[in-house]
Amino acid sequence: MATRTETLPYGVGRFTAGWWLLLAVLAVLVGWGLYAYSRQLAEGLVVTGLRDIGSMAGAAWGLYIAFDIYFVGVSFAGITMAALIRLLRLEELRPVSRMAELLTIVALILAAFSVLPDLGQPVRGIVNLLRYARPQSPFFGTFTLVISGYLFASLVYFYLDGRRDAALLARIPSPLQGFYRLWAAGYRDTPAERERHHRTAFWLAIAIVPLLVTAHSTLGFVFGIQSGRPGWFSTLQAPAFVVMAGVSGIGLLLVIAAVFRHVLGERERLHEGIFRWLGGLLALLVLVYLYFTVAELLTTTYTGHEVEVRLTLALLNGPYAWLFWVSMGALVLALASLVLPYVPSLVPVRVPSFQPAFARAAGLAAAGAGLVLMIYRHSPRLVPVAGAGGPEPEWVGWVLAGLAVVFVLSWFPLFARSVVAAGVAGGLLVNVAAVGKRLLIVVPSQTHGTLLPYGPGSYTPTWVEYSVVAGLFALGTLLYTLFVKVFPIMEVAEER
Amino acid sequence: MRAAWTLLLVLVGFGLQAVSYFFLAAPLGVPSSPVYSDPRLPFAPALFILGVMLVFLAAVVYELLPERSSP
Repeated sequence: MATRTETLPYGVGRFTAGWWLLLAVLAVLVGWGLYAYSRQLAEGLVVTGLRDIGSMAGAAWGLYIAFDIYFVGVSFAGITMAALIRLLRLEELRPVSRMAELLTIVALILAAFSVLPDLGQPVRGIVNLLRYARPQSPFFGTFTLVISGYLFASLVYFYLDGRRDAALLARIPSPLQGFYRLWAAGYRDTPAERERHHRTAFWLAIAIVPLLVTAHSTLGFVFGIQSGRPGWFSTLQAPAFVVMAGVSGIGLLLVIAAVFRHVLGERERLHEGIFRWLGGLLALLVLVYLYFTVAELLTTTYTGHEVEVRLTLALLNGPYAWLFWVSMGALVLALASLVLPYVPSLVPVRVPSFQPAFARAAGLAAAGAGLVLMIYRHSPRLVPVAGAGGPEPEWVGWVLAGLAVVFVLSWFPLFARSVVAAGVAGGLLVNVAAVGKRLLIVVPSQTHGTLLPYGPGSYTPTWVEYSVVAGLFALGTLLYTLFVKVFPIMEVAEER
Repeated sequence: MRAAWTLLLVLVGFGLQAVSYFFLAAPLGVPSSPVYSDPRLPFAPALFILGVMLVFLAAVVYELLPERSSP
């Protein structure tokens, strides 16, 4: 029988000063994002960098849609891992299962919230979607399959999967006992109930795997079947969306698993085998994505329509080149960092041309310079009229990108020694690449991809868009942080 | 009983999806007039979403409904 001295596992119900500080910072960021959004609601989309394609030389979709795609992509990890663990009996990965499921739910909520600011009138948009939308359209499919199907399926899976732990925790006296009883809903962890849960989870996993491929493909088809928009019309769009979704999602899962391994001190449960497994899968997906990119670029530059070629050159050697090469570089560096732990120790892994301390200082300086530049260029006073921003001088981007590469290279000896560090680095780098690639999919095809006789345009997000996106990231972290204090982030061990 | 309720929910969910997709939403075919824009029944897309949710809700019903007590 449980005694009063028994504590809830994995830090549940224990609120430290650091946790409160993190909560306060996140709450301030969410508040700032809400303030920025309130400005947009009050004054309209004119306070954003979004403009019409062609005549107003801008992009109608920008940061909001790019991050919508990014968040939907991140959601891939959770339910995929949960389903694969169930179907392929990957018991080794079970400790990250709940982290992944929660990541899916939070990411899908953020994805829904990313679309809303893109709509001038969000309430009208939602009501009209439910009232008039064509279910046959890929755009509607994105909402139904991703939001209703994918999110709802994830919630169901998450709820059912957590009943066992809720039942166990309901036996321990705590202020949350009532909540756990409600979640457990009569579950007692009998063999019959366990068997029933296994059966349900198996069938849910069977239903979810095709659903997630369809959901992510549908998002790709929103772009891929638009024949009038060079850069989007491509057979590879849907599969590339699925693969990139896996890349960003699994990358973020690696980072989250490492954070909990450190914060909770759970080195045995979150063992290196998990990082090895996820890192290997991530490396494979990165390779596939790089192959897709090469195939796509070769086709568009060799046989593409004139406008298609112009767009590709804008990516490779034009105004978007620095972002394109940063994204590609991040993917290649991520691949290298993930492979490094497997390089035989006889091969010395070091970059002798510079001192690591200098490289790290340079990297931090690059990050700081980038932040200052961004704040300066996008501060509210500087963007009173449409198009006042404009892209940064090309050399600034190249210098920052070069310093970032030096920064990453300086950590390579550490990545060679630790599979966890390599996983975290790979996870962070692929997410940088994912954000860059999402922006490159959404924006250049509007500013440089028109078939009508318009000149090239430009798009620069304003402080409103950056603030809303920062607020969304803070909201996601806040939801995650709050959840781990009321429910165990890993399955409670058998002995409990 | 539990299995019957679950099956019923799955069938109703898929049925709702099929009916709303093929018969209540905007007609399939080459769009030649405004008829192809709006759904035949307003909120047919919402019914489709409801159908998707009902299918997954069946899993909750299957797990939560109590076993029939043995005599």
